[in-house]
Amino acid sequence: MSDFETLVEVVDLSKQFPVPGKAKVHAVEHVSLKIGRGETLAVVGESGCGKSTLAFLIIKLLESTSGQILLDGHDITDANTRAMRQHRQKMQIIFQDPFASLDPRRSVGYAVGEPLIVHGEESKGSALDERVGALFERVGLEREHMLQYPHQFSGGQRQRVCIARALALRPDLVIADESVSALDVSVQAQVINLMMELQQEMGLSYLFISHDLAVVERMAHRVAVMYLGQIVELGPRSAIFENPTHSYTKRLLDAVPIADPRQRRERPLLTGEIPSPRWEHGTSPELVNLIEVEPGHFVAEE
Amino acid sequence: MVSSEKPLLSVQGLTVTFDGFTAVSELSFDLFEGQTLAIVGESGSGKSVTALSIMRLVTLGTRAKIAEGELNFRMPDGSIIDLVKADEAQMRDIRGNQISMIFQEPLTSLNPVYTTGNQVIEAIRLHQDLDKEQAHQRALEVFQRVRIPEPEERLKEYPHQMSGGMRQRVMIAMALSCDPTVLIADEPTTALDVTIQAQILGLMRTLQNETGAAVIMITHDMGVVAEVADDIVVMRNSKLVETGTVYEVFEDPKEPYTKALLASIPRLGSMTGKSRPELFDLVEMEPGA
Repeated sequence: MSDFETLVEVVDLSKQFPVPGKAKVHAVEHVSLKIGRGETLAVVGESGCGKSTLAFLIIKLLESTSGQILLDGHDITDANTRAMRQHRQKMQIIFQDPFASLDPRRSVGYAVGEPLIVHGEESKGSALDERVGALFERVGLEREHMLQYPHQFSGGQRQRVCIARALALRPDLVIADESVSALDVSVQAQVINLMMELQQEMGLSYLFISHDLAVVERMAHRVAVMYLGQIVELGPRSAIFENPTHSYTKRLLDAVPIADPRQRRERPLLTGEIPSPRWEHGTSPELVNLIEVEPGHFVAEE
Repeated sequence: MVSSEKPLLSVQGLTVTFDGFTAVSELSFDLFEGQTLAIVGESGSGKSVTALSIMRLVTLGTRAKIAEGELNFRMPDGSIIDLVKADEAQMRDIRGNQISMIFQEPLTSLNPVYTTGNQVIEAIRLHQDLDKEQAHQRALEVFQRVRIPEPEERLKEYPHQMSGGMRQRVMIAMALSCDPTVLIADEPTTALDVTIQAQILGLMRTLQNETGAAVIMITHDMGVVAEVADDIVVMRNSKLVETGTVYEVFEDPKEPYTKALLASIPRLGSMTGKSRPELFDLVEMEPGA
């Protein structure tokens, strides 16, 4: 973290969803973290651990129950829709399914140009076309593609369109929520390479939400491991992958199949399932206590 | 595999077309008893169509046609049946009893309005001459075999009451309920979390040792392949690109496409000792059809 100037700071952030029966799902529970400029922070964990909810809270697609979000020093926790407009330029999100993220009735060129129009940077015309065309080229598409529609593209190309749209406003932070999970492996590698090149060129920060630990090992600077809404381990990539310390991190890493037939692992036969994050009114999960075991490497006490 | 052994299933020159589009083209491979054969490839390579062709499900209610080829399957009595030519009654007898299949998404494979027990019992009674009580007993046995905890209780549950991993166990239980000799698993762990995936892969391996069934594993995940396969068929654009043992394909791939595919896999541990993120060293892939 010391290499990076702080761009986003999340302090003690929580989100609870009311569910029937006077209970609440504690999706995100007192999470604190920082994302540096030009840094990729990966959040890993299994379905339901709260990683996507955390992303949605940071970009304010969901309102947090408590806690604070600071973007570039500004407290945006309670910013209303209008105030958020200027901040939204700095934060963009790319989702898992690029087809669901694009309007099937609009050309992809429109999709990429729309944020520029909405934010008043350009109006329709040749200047807009020029900027959109440049974005298309930057993400490895051709200018001629601008007039085509989402269904005319492959999954990897659609995700490139979504990346171009996310970059249109020159954001500081791009949140990638399982953005490469739906892609074929050869296409996935190309899109990941593109994201890393763009990061170097533009100094982008990524909040990279993923369940795929091998992808995370490739592209993250730091990694946060989430379990039942809380961070149980956080540290530089090398610390998490080469010196995993929390039992859940170890379990997660052990479960990854290794693409080498000489490294087959013994597999557990018994079922072990993640407990429910649903808590009755008046009850709540026990909070973990993060201890710094080496510089920048935090592990929940067990 | 020992070449003198007779294959359980011999696929010869299989070609499947959809209205002139060729989904599988002149595909040949052999499957032996107790073997795990992985068919790997990316979206649209024809791997799932191959699986559906072996079950002869591909032509049901679609315009697909098995245009050419043979699917010679050895029955338990030693006789050979070409599944391409078998009539529908024979196929009904073979599906489930001899060859069964599990799919990627167990929730869409299970009926939401019946209990899981109900559905497993139905599958058992369709294929075996058992009364209700015996079928229930059999369902309980297969639930125990796939290590479902509290099997008696779980038989009474509806699919939505179960987790994804538990539902996939139910699907495996159903597929194994009639002791098939071939199990086709089409992306069985793709929708599951990694720790649950590890459990299901471990379970499948144990069950295979217990039952001696041959498994055809359809997947795009080279990590899963490395973990479970004895032999591999690599497919691309409807054709077989390369085939060999898991060691041959991983350690000495012959075809450029296989090399490119292997180069693009994110491998856990590949970044050990490196301080900064690194680009994938991609091998140029010649453009697809």
